[in-house]
Amino acid sequence: MGNESPTVIFLGQPNSGKSTLFNAIAGPKALTSNFPGTSYKHTHSEVNIEGRLLNVVDLPGTYSLSPSEPAEKVILSHLFQEKPDLVINVVDASILGRSLELTLELLELGYPMIMALNMVDLAEKKGIQVDPENLEKRLGVRVVPTVAAHGRGLKALLEAAFFCLDNRCPLISPHWSGDVEEEVRRLAERLPEEIIVAGNPRFTAIKLIEAEKTFCVEVLAEADPGLKRDLDLIKKRIEDKRRAPAYEVIAAERHHLALKISEETSRVRRGKRRSWERRVDDVIMHPVLGYLILGLIFLAFFFLIFKIGGPLEGALLGPLARLRAFLSGWLGAGLLFHVADGLLQGIGGGAAIVLPYFVPLLFFMAFLEDLGYLARAGFLLDTFMHRIGLHGKSVSPFILGFGCNVPAVLSTRVLESRRDRTITSLLIPFIPCSARTTIILALVAFYLGPAWALGFYLFNILLVAVIGRILSLFFKDPSPGLILEIPSLKAPSPVNMARKTYLQLKSFVKFAWPLLVGGSIVLSLLQFLGLDKVLNTAFSPLVVHGLGLPEPLGITLVFGFLRKELSLIMMLQALGVEYKNLLTVVTREQILVFTVFVSFFIPCLSTFAILWKETGKKVAFLSVGLSVTVAVAVSLMVRLIF
Amino acid sequence: MIKLADAPRGRTLRLVDIQGGEGVRRRLFALGFHKDDLIEVNSHGILRGPLLIKNLTSDISIALGRSIAGKILVDLASDGQ
Repeated sequence: MGNESPTVIFLGQPNSGKSTLFNAIAGPKALTSNFPGTSYKHTHSEVNIEGRLLNVVDLPGTYSLSPSEPAEKVILSHLFQEKPDLVINVVDASILGRSLELTLELLELGYPMIMALNMVDLAEKKGIQVDPENLEKRLGVRVVPTVAAHGRGLKALLEAAFFCLDNRCPLISPHWSGDVEEEVRRLAERLPEEIIVAGNPRFTAIKLIEAEKTFCVEVLAEADPGLKRDLDLIKKRIEDKRRAPAYEVIAAERHHLALKISEETSRVRRGKRRSWERRVDDVIMHPVLGYLILGLIFLAFFFLIFKIGGPLEGALLGPLARLRAFLSGWLGAGLLFHVADGLLQGIGGGAAIVLPYFVPLLFFMAFLEDLGYLARAGFLLDTFMHRIGLHGKSVSPFILGFGCNVPAVLSTRVLESRRDRTITSLLIPFIPCSARTTIILALVAFYLGPAWALGFYLFNILLVAVIGRILSLFFKDPSPGLILEIPSLKAPSPVNMARKTYLQLKSFVKFAWPLLVGGSIVLSLLQFLGLDKVLNTAFSPLVVHGLGLPEPLGITLVFGFLRKELSLIMMLQALGVEYKNLLTVVTREQILVFTVFVSFFIPCLSTFAILWKETGKKVAFLSVGLSVTVAVAVSLMVRLIF
Repeated sequence: MIKLADAPRGRTLRLVDIQGGEGVRRRLFALGFHKDDLIEVNSHGILRGPLLIKNLTSDISIALGRSIAGKILVDLASDGQ
């Protein structure tokens, strides 16, 4: 099916509004956010626009086609795999000069292209007026002004897209200073057919000249030593003449051309700068106020979630308990009741215990992300991250981890060095994700009080710091340090936030809930058959003697590996009590120990899988070993203290 | 010529040279920071934390770790240039 409909790729720099534009056109399939590099998995959708089927692809944002972080490397390979019929280059009009550098690279590449000149409203607010017709003439591609967030310019953009799909808009590659151009031409002519990328010898030649000394060049050296020699010669000639590394010469050529075009096509009226943004930033990044605000935001974050989730949970649990009582009266205590009870606990537990906390957490997270606050938190926390051997760029994966560890591990791809990625990935499983927040709120906050829950969090963060500090002792190579773009503050669009919440929720309902229900039924059946006792006996040395917990809780730990929130629901089921009567069978101390153990003891199955995929088997198992050790140590400590 | 890390806040600076390794240089180019750009230090993080740098040429802000800022050389440009 995808073969007949033309492929249209959205490509732009981070924060250019690419995913917002993609969403507006292709429907709610891609996540958008205001942090450099968040749409990791590229999104494919087949959409019907005005009666024409298009295969549209949203690739993650990239600053250039000469990638320097793993997230960007993925993009290049996808770009070549897809062989797009049309590229829609999304450009942030308010920073035209830099955005055009990617555009120039795309012109070099030569796939048919049109430009969405996005955020023209933001540019105007900054006092920048871009002349699209002039830009069109200078670049030789169709330029359509858009404001993706408000759906402005979409129709014209689609018309331009259809026009270029029907009429193959040819591109003219930009040309550089004579001496560089001459060297590029020389290499392009000499390239053997089989290594030419995208059917474009000139593009291939440029990329070879500016490539890092990476794998490709090594392979090239082995396969074609003559070519490697010529390439080195050409680079040397450029370097001797310009007294700078070849990649820098090419980058400078591109930069100057982009700057020139941007100056020729836009008018800047000074004085109308967005001074309020500067003033807001002065406050939220202030050396004292900034941290105060950061602290308040996180306090408000958990307070709000608790204030919304608590009453909702209470309201939903009552009917659930009544339904259960009714079922037991109706079905007796046989097999049927156990299946029905498992089903009810799974569905009801998900709806009444998980969702009330999960939904507000996701929504608030989306708010912080879209606002552009995550990058600012990265700036503020960089100093502290240095103390644990990392830097501010790891802050965003950590904060995402409070939502779910899985996208958090994925987002470590924005870190340039392998060392930083490994340490961050090993620490993420210790960040209490929303599932664990649910447990902490439902058990600790509800039974020991909100102050205890807050203390739990602070302790948790301290623990992450200590583990980070210890881990960084084992990774000797230095961290490259922080380079992080701070995007403009943007008013988050409620539609975007709702969409993002909905998408995360959908994946919870689709993947986690069935596990929750399935696990719940399995546990019910195990109980019915008396098999749970076998497992509990096996675990009892740890659970009963080590942690001082009731023996029936052993089995819940197994399920916690599937989904953390399963442990909570299984706990109630295993103990055979309703949530509000929990204190009749366990003490407050036991609740604390249980929560501590469940929180840390193992990354859940999905996190384990993503760790394996992203960082390799060794790190994934290291993470398991680390978390089991920490969980046992910390729970024993808690038991001894209380 | 001074190090960016030692540059005063709020003054217009001209980026003279990036002395870091290739990775750092490439990254800064990609983010839109090149030689001869006019830049400004907007904020210093506490406890030798990062610097908030604004590029006046391209209107882009980045957070820059102190160690990297120590490898970037700048000149004080007369304001309004």
